[in-house]
Amino acid sequence: MTKRTMTLNLTDDEMRVLVELSERKDLSKTSVLRQALRLYQTVDARLVRGEKLLFENETTKEKSELMLL
Amino acid sequence: MSTEVSIISLLDVKNSSSVQAELRDSIGEVQLIDWHTQWQPQLFQVLNQLKQQGVPLSQWPQSRNWDWPQKTAQVAGLLAFKCFCVTCDGVTQGLMRVDLNKTAQVPEQKGRPLVYVEYLEVAPWNRPDLGQPIRFKGVGTALMVAAVALSEYEGFKGRIGLHSLPQSEDFYRINCKMIDLGLDANYQYLRYFEMTHEQAHAFLKE
Repeated sequence: MTKRTMTLNLTDDEMRVLVELSERKDLSKTSVLRQALRLYQTVDARLVRGEKLLFENETTKEKSELMLL
Repeated sequence: MSTEVSIISLLDVKNSSSVQAELRDSIGEVQLIDWHTQWQPQLFQVLNQLKQQGVPLSQWPQSRNWDWPQKTAQVAGLLAFKCFCVTCDGVTQGLMRVDLNKTAQVPEQKGRPLVYVEYLEVAPWNRPDLGQPIRFKGVGTALMVAAVALSEYEGFKGRIGLHSLPQSEDFYRINCKMIDLGLDANYQYLRYFEMTHEQAHAFLKE
């Protein structure tokens, strides 16, 4: 698979979150960002189809909708 | 997008010999034509035999309603989904679709991303459960190896997971040595299986 390289500028806070996520998810920083892109595209495609993104609390079964612009 | 092709080996059961096959990281029009013109007629024949023999519906192939043209169209262009196929002798021998958005359930790797095998099916003439001599052995295993290899490539360290149809449980439990996490009430009560990083490495070594 051919890959392209790009430079990414992140703030300190963004970099801190990226490092935290990569440690917690056992992924490289590149893999976290690729995963984020996949997830964002999946969510966007479903929203375009008219679906909603909901989170459910496992205990209370309470649902909340995540609004994406 | 270009398709990656890997050369693999299958066992030609009739001749007890190894044959060269191709593993591709896409499902193209050729494979869907094979599904229409070769898989479906053979499956239809098998279903007719089962009907004539009075075999109860519960024992019919549980993937008989899987519509591969639909399954590939649903995820066209989406980065989170990838399709694979195995071809041999000029014919499609197996198909698989995976999802990269899912996370692991086994406590030691819970929440970490894995390659989730959504659908894996081999051609009717390669299925040992249909009561007929099979043509090629190793198609399902080759697709599982592809799932593990993709997991490695994506940085998921070989972790994979799947819900199995009851007829395929032994394949995942015995052949692939995956962890059985039991029936999943949130997924049609299908049994959920997972492979850890260590198991994946052992699986690739075999």
